[in-house]
Amino acid sequence: MLGKGAAKKVTIYVNEDARHQLGPLYEAILTFLMHKGVAGATASRAMAGFGAHQVLHTTKIEVLTEHLPIRIEFIDTAEKVDEILPTLYEMVTDGMIEVQDTVVVKAVMKERKTELKIPHERKQGKAKMLRLFLGEADRWHGEPLYEAVVKRLRMMDIAGATVYRGILGYGIKGHAHKQGFLHLSHDLPMMITVIDSEEKLQQATAAIEDMMQDALIVMSDVEIIRLVHSHSLAEASDAGV
Amino acid sequence: MLEFKPAKLLRVLCSEADPYKGKPLYKAIVDKCLEMKIAGVTVFRGAEGFGESAEIHRGHLLTHNLPIVVTIVDSAESIARLVPVLQEMIDTGLIAISDVEACRVVKTAPTNKS
Repeated sequence: MLGKGAAKKVTIYVNEDARHQLGPLYEAILTFLMHKGVAGATASRAMAGFGAHQVLHTTKIEVLTEHLPIRIEFIDTAEKVDEILPTLYEMVTDGMIEVQDTVVVKAVMKERKTELKIPHERKQGKAKMLRLFLGEADRWHGEPLYEAVVKRLRMMDIAGATVYRGILGYGIKGHAHKQGFLHLSHDLPMMITVIDSEEKLQQATAAIEDMMQDALIVMSDVEIIRLVHSHSLAEASDAGV
Repeated sequence: MLEFKPAKLLRVLCSEADPYKGKPLYKAIVDKCLEMKIAGVTVFRGAEGFGESAEIHRGHLLTHNLPIVVTIVDSAESIARLVPVLQEMIDTGLIAISDVEACRVVKTAPTNKS
């Protein structure tokens, strides 16, 4: 599966009736891409269009419906695209190939087969633990701040975060956060703990700094014992305890 | 960029039912910290646990004797000032102190302590 970050996007424009050996060209291209293990490819049939032949292909005129443009798009790493391009160049005898730089923001898939699973990442040794103390009532663009922070951390691929709700406390705001009668209070103290490498946590604090209103950020050294991928921290011992 | 300063993080581990002069120990600790002008205190209630008495603390329909963690972050001096007081207050429990780097983010509320 394709990872996050810089990648190349290749777009190929061909005619629906363009042929390669015995079958349609776009099918041949898709088969070839799949055979090469490209992360994914999409072929879409256009509604209308024209190309170098200067003939407008449209669904409105029956004679021309056979010649509708087909656009095949796929995104993969620069190396993979370099490997594949020469063959595509050979295959596309009538059409156009375009390559552009792109950034993959999210690439996920639901697990289907175990052999396709990404290998578990194991981290061992020293790491940093970040504790953020904030209030339950703190908001960020209308949503609870602690939720917004966790979402942001998740997007940044931080190994994990846990939100704790305190039952009593006071802090920067000076007032006591206390659970009211029948659990009606909604401004209890909250703590978010995050464990990851120092660089990652520095990026994280920089990103969430602006979201914070009044808060306390605490950083400490910890010893990680085991960390399994799939964003779950199996066992981590806090060196401070 | 945020500026981190060395500080101490103190944790008191006790149970919810621990008493101190007629009120829960954790409430007494928070009151004491307010009185001693400690920067901030947060009390967490655990879901399950066991301690020195080797008795499992688990929530019941009627009884509430869950583990409590009182977390305090302040300068080394303040923590040093607080520890003897806590030692006197706590009957059975644990006090853990660790070195941390702390940074206060203050944007709205006016404070008298940076």
